[in-house]
Amino acid sequence: MSTLHTISKSPAKGLLSSCAPLLKQGDALMLLEDGVYYSYQNELDDLLAKGFEVYCLSEDLLARGPADKNLAESKLLDYEGFVDLCCEHDKLVNWF
Amino acid sequence: MSDSITFISRAAPYGENNSKLCMDIALAAAVFEQKINYVFLDDGVYQLLSNQSPEAIASKPVGAALEAFDLYGIENVYVDKNSLSSRNLTQQELVIKAKVADSDLIAELIQNSKSVINL
Amino acid sequence: MKFSIVIYGAPYSSEAASSAYRFARAVIEQGHGIYRLFFMGDGVLNASRLSVSPQDEVNLQHSWDKLIREHKLDSVVCVSSALKRGIVDATESERYELDGVSAFESSDIAGLGQLVDASVVSDRVVSFG
Repeated sequence: MSTLHTISKSPAKGLLSSCAPLLKQGDALMLLEDGVYYSYQNELDDLLAKGFEVYCLSEDLLARGPADKNLAESKLLDYEGFVDLCCEHDKLVNWF
Repeated sequence: MSDSITFISRAAPYGENNSKLCMDIALAAAVFEQKINYVFLDDGVYQLLSNQSPEAIASKPVGAALEAFDLYGIENVYVDKNSLSSRNLTQQELVIKAKVADSDLIAELIQNSKSVINL
Repeated sequence: MKFSIVIYGAPYSSEAASSAYRFARAVIEQGHGIYRLFFMGDGVLNASRLSVSPQDEVNLQHSWDKLIREHKLDSVVCVSSALKRGIVDATESERYELDGVSAFESSDIAGLGQLVDASVVSDRVVSFG
């Protein structure tokens, strides 16, 4: 039983600090829309160090110009991959 | 898997509409006899302040609406401990009785729910 | 797998509604089913049939309508959110003696019970706002 959390707003809204304490072993995080800006930052390091999988919607990341940024180790997924990821987890919690 | 729905209400009242949407969905779910957990998180705890008088801004008091939870049989009402303390609020100031919950408990509610509505 | 998609975001104001649209298409393309689309809050504006977009821009409301009709999707617009925002079908227009119809026929205007039902019956509920 695992949950996929998604964040779709900019790190300035602070949603990661609300979401992160509620993650359980096996849960994962998907970043989309302005949430992809988390991948530019080291705020994700803590989650990654704890072994949580973090994914990033490639369409939204590419739209924003990630090329010369030192991205955190989130995995890129397109919409098809996002749908697959939803199927791999039992439910979603969407943070926006 | 459990058949309950967990609601996470994170928005302050009046400034935006999400607190009302969240409550409306929960009341509808209660009418349809679903098992409900209702969690106030982040600015959502501001909904629980007593003595709200929003008439002058043409709104209905959210605190009063929350008192309807009892009538609708919504009993599992929680308020996030960190959200209270980081806003200098105490349980005594709240308009309804909500159980103070830490992150671990809320994480467990999520884990044991069929679906989660997070507004 | 049966998905339901809940849309809280107005078209154009944020990326949420167009993300939801792309997600819905991906769900269908992957061979999954959509149990229900549910539009709520400002999201009900996605069901407006009276919008006009510049020629070189996507008209999201028309895109939704086309997707819903092509795939015969169950699409519901929350009645209380819709009436307040001027999204009315023929029935509501007549009931409140309004002088027009603003909602696409491809969506039904109905109550929150439809969202509760979708939350219970669907395998996955994904919200965009």
